[in-house]
Amino acid sequence: MTTGPDDLHVLLGAYVLGGLSDDDHRAYSEHLRTCTQCQAELGQVSGLPRLLDLAGPEGGLHLVAPPPGAPIPLMKEPDDERVSTLLTEVGRRRRRRRTLASVLGAAAAVALFAGGAWLGPSILRATTPEPPTTHVTASAPGSAASVDVALVTRGWGTQLDLECSGLPTDSPLTLWVVDNYGKEYAAASWRAGGSGYTKLTGSTSVPTYEIKSVEVRTSMGKVVASART
Amino acid sequence: MPLDEEAVAEIYREHGPMLRRVVWRATNDANRVEDIVQEVILRVWKQAPQADNLRAYLITTARHLIVDQHRAAGRRPQEATLTEIAERDSALDQALDQVLVEEALGRLQDNHRDVVRCLYYQRLSVAEASLRLGVPEGTVKSRAYYAVRNLRVILDEMGVTR
Repeated sequence: MTTGPDDLHVLLGAYVLGGLSDDDHRAYSEHLRTCTQCQAELGQVSGLPRLLDLAGPEGGLHLVAPPPGAPIPLMKEPDDERVSTLLTEVGRRRRRRRTLASVLGAAAAVALFAGGAWLGPSILRATTPEPPTTHVTASAPGSAASVDVALVTRGWGTQLDLECSGLPTDSPLTLWVVDNYGKEYAAASWRAGGSGYTKLTGSTSVPTYEIKSVEVRTSMGKVVASART
Repeated sequence: MPLDEEAVAEIYREHGPMLRRVVWRATNDANRVEDIVQEVILRVWKQAPQADNLRAYLITTARHLIVDQHRAAGRRPQEATLTEIAERDSALDQALDQVLVEEALGRLQDNHRDVVRCLYYQRLSVAEASLRLGVPEGTVKSRAYYAVRNLRVILDEMGVTR
């Protein structure tokens, strides 16, 4: 099936989700070079695959029938009784606001969440499948930094998902991608937060297979972490 | 100036079911869901934000509540390094994002969700999806376009901006 030039912009959807024929993929890639509107739209939605991967290999509960014997507990829709309970609480708090205005916030949080360890284990157990990516862990001699980089192949190049810790906080940092020819490209820049822990996503037009190494450098050019792919 | 009771009831009716699903699936503890949902709505009421995007505000508030509790339930801060705390929060963020993405997929209209399932999760080609769904290839393509656009809008509304 061929697609006329007027219809090219709709190919964005299947370009991002996958499934375009080779001809359509080529035609849309060509179209993308010159169509600023499509470039802008792609910029808005190019992060979707990474998010969709979070929902698991089959897309989560709305995309697959629940397995028999393991029904999701039905959450009751709010009924009038619950609403009136809530409104009673609203009234109670409003009265307390008048007398205990300065401590109300803390008191309310403690009262509702004094229950203890009800949450931790279940959250950390939530897992997501490994996306089709290359993981490398970067470090440099004499540096406390540790950087986990996932290289994700995209139609437009490579997405780099970084989780960094122990980074220096006194300098802006830049992520550099070095290709097989030794050419360097900046793929992201940021400033590490107080804990030195940062999670961010960078991008480069260099295809994944042409990336030889990735490096995190300070503004003075000092390499704080590097990794070969 | 707090929102009035009618406004609180309205928030609860409109956003309660969504919040309840999100909180239940993030915490896996049905006994706590209603407490957290009510606390979220009460906080929003108390702070009376002039939020343009109430849904994102509610979800962000729920996220903060769950993260706070998650931290309180964890080891004492002096026993955990900053990196460990960051890693734990990151795992929690990811779990919450997962819940929100699933929620967003649930809010897509059916024929858009079908196309996402075929093209993305089942890795079918446009031609294969066309056969599977019994619609022309051009329809698969245009549905894929609107599915992607709408999904982005829904996720933005939920405050999932990455």
